[in-house]
Amino acid sequence: MKPAVSAWETHAMRIVGIRPEIDGVATYDLAFTEQAGGDAYQFRPGQFNMLYLPGVGESAISLCGDCRAPDVWKHTVRVAGRVTQTLAGMPLGSQLGVRGPFGTGWPIDQWQGMDVVLVAGGIGLPPLRPAIYELLQRRDEFGCLTLIYGARGPRSLLYTAEFPTWQSQGLSVLTIVDRASAGWTGNQGVVTSLLERLELPNPATTAVAVCGPEIMIRYTALAAAKRGIVSERVWVSLERNMQCAVGLCGHCQLGPEFICRDGPVLRYDRVRHLLSVEAL
Amino acid sequence: MPTGSTSSHRFLESLPERQRVQLEAIATRRHWPPGALLFQEGHEHENIYLLLCGHVRLDMLVPDRGRTALLTVGPGDLVGWSPLTGAQTMTATAMALEPTQALAFNGTRLRDACTEDHELGYYVMRQIVITLSERLLSTRLQLLDLFRGHEPRASSAPDLC
Amino acid sequence: MSADPIDNAALWLGPKAGLQQVIDALRRTGYTIVGPMVDQAAIVYGEIGGIEQLPRGWTDRQAPGQYRIEQTGRDTYFDYVVGPHSWKKYLFPPRLAVAAVVPLQAGWQFERPRDDPPTYAFLGVRACEIAAIRVQDRVFLEGGYVDAAYQRRRKPAFILTVNCTLAGTNCFCASMNTGPRCTEGFDLALTELENGFVIEIGSERGRSTMADCDVRPATEAERSAGVAARQRATDQQSKRMNTDGLPQLLMANLQHPRWKDVGERCLSCTNCTMVCPTCFCSSVEEVPDLNTGRIERQRQWDSCFHEEFSSLNGRPVRNEIAARYRQWLTHKLSTWHEQFGTSGCVGCGRCITWCPVGIDITEEVAALREPAL
Repeated sequence: MKPAVSAWETHAMRIVGIRPEIDGVATYDLAFTEQAGGDAYQFRPGQFNMLYLPGVGESAISLCGDCRAPDVWKHTVRVAGRVTQTLAGMPLGSQLGVRGPFGTGWPIDQWQGMDVVLVAGGIGLPPLRPAIYELLQRRDEFGCLTLIYGARGPRSLLYTAEFPTWQSQGLSVLTIVDRASAGWTGNQGVVTSLLERLELPNPATTAVAVCGPEIMIRYTALAAAKRGIVSERVWVSLERNMQCAVGLCGHCQLGPEFICRDGPVLRYDRVRHLLSVEAL
Repeated sequence: MPTGSTSSHRFLESLPERQRVQLEAIATRRHWPPGALLFQEGHEHENIYLLLCGHVRLDMLVPDRGRTALLTVGPGDLVGWSPLTGAQTMTATAMALEPTQALAFNGTRLRDACTEDHELGYYVMRQIVITLSERLLSTRLQLLDLFRGHEPRASSAPDLC
Repeated sequence: MSADPIDNAALWLGPKAGLQQVIDALRRTGYTIVGPMVDQAAIVYGEIGGIEQLPRGWTDRQAPGQYRIEQTGRDTYFDYVVGPHSWKKYLFPPRLAVAAVVPLQAGWQFERPRDDPPTYAFLGVRACEIAAIRVQDRVFLEGGYVDAAYQRRRKPAFILTVNCTLAGTNCFCASMNTGPRCTEGFDLALTELENGFVIEIGSERGRSTMADCDVRPATEAERSAGVAARQRATDQQSKRMNTDGLPQLLMANLQHPRWKDVGERCLSCTNCTMVCPTCFCSSVEEVPDLNTGRIERQRQWDSCFHEEFSSLNGRPVRNEIAARYRQWLTHKLSTWHEQFGTSGCVGCGRCITWCPVGIDITEEVAALREPAL
């Protein structure tokens, strides 16, 4: 955790790239208007920023770029409310404020020597992408690396242009869709089926990282448990509405956890009992 | 092309040794090239298949939509179990998407074997129940359409992550 | 609470009008004095210049969902317990600018707004209120991020406590181990007797304030009278909360039928969270100045009882009032321990008094202890 810099310290940033991804989703490249040197703006895979549009409000968006290239911060954003709707209308060069980075990241160091299965659903892939980059950059430190990625349909799959590169660098990429379109010869069904079928050389030394809708997270963790991967080796990225992003405003609480501060990445054994209670 | 190796003998390995041997004795091997149909919706078919390798798509014909894909199954999955219940009319069409191999069990022979040897019957049916309940859960998760975008409550609502 | 320690260094201030000297000494030092006063048929906190502003001769009558004040005819300054205000009104202001942004030609300039709060002297702080301030200290000062605005107000604040000599019907500080006796965390502690005050020094700051006042060491009789007066507060307390194993019990009973029961009574009005001295939920609002274009980001008190307070994908997580009540209670009495190392409740009873339908947190806890059928 950073030392006590004001939580409301806002960096001025400019949109230097806009890449439409799928319907209603775009990736924004943000650069600092004043460059600071060195380690000033490092982030860890799994962390998020609060994107601030003055007069409109803020939105918590995960960083989805390479943390070794921190001059530009990438955020894949789906239009979901007033702030993201306004952002979607902003042209290249527009300025905005960014607070962050906040939250816990994927515990990549803990996965050294292990096989790692990343399970992403829909807009859950962006928060995992920085972890993918990091794992591939340190490929020798890990065993089998697999990405299971589910989306609504073939046209909803994000980052598909990068998949061949990831495969060549040692990540097995398995995609699956709920609804096929004409000509789709890939997998159709749910991510849990792929996890159930996955060849696991050694479940006892396999880590699973999950990001997606909460119900998908629960059943993925269940499928992992059935394969012998206990909840102490499953990490999940959770969501709630966020405001202060530093555990002081109370909005993002799930039981004792402040998702913004104790999460968004949490080890599953810590939250399993909380996720099974309705309206907690 | 979907990749990822699988535990293709999951179903068999879940059975006790004796029952597994019995089952393997009545199995035959089948294979299909890409595009070949394993069975067709509405048609009679005798066999149940346990996929060993490859990739099969299941679909149903919906008159105003045409051939509608439901799901795909792969190594280790059971497909076409209607013959096991005695109903021989298939409820979906199965098509191989890549070179596919499976163990085939004649439905009548399997039912007879289970009737003769109740212990075999118990283990086979139990494992099929487990497999079906997994498939049911998957179907429900698919039905929930979890990746559909959620509409915000109101445009004046504060933005949410 | 252990046996009342008699402070051998206690001072005596009499007659009671001499309290004005303390106020004057504090004012000379530069403090803005805040204390109890009567306003709109309640005893609230506001700026005090003279003892005549204190609720002299007033007492309060509280019950679940009921509050009124009445004249007793006695010459007392502190013959009541706590009202709808708490000191969080000053330490964690209901509305505060936390950031600002100014439009420039080329974009935005992000600023830190000026925050120049007065240096407060809190006059009349009760034991439960010290405890509440210390709970909020853990929240705002001892987490990963320090809330600078809270720190700016809290660090220099002078705490002049008053030991309760009576208990309100809704008080249960003894159960929460927060009172009624003030043992630490104050600069000065007063116990009101018939003809004067027994004063205990709690800090160097307190000592130097009293140095300017006309006081003398308290006699043994006066100190004993102080003990007896404080004992009245303990004896009169009738409400109890059994806190044994409570954090675990609540988390093990998230599906208890009592939640539905209280959910049918609770109006989700947020009164309890507003009057609670430890509640800290807030929201930030964009407040533009239409003339200059400058936008202030203002933090305001919010409440987990608001339906849209917690949401996922644009939909509230806690749709039903029962779920929101459960959140408030389990946070206050259970998960607060995991987050901050203490209970969130100090037993002040305000939530019971100010609930329009008289929901009593001690009763709800007792009911939750009953095995679910």
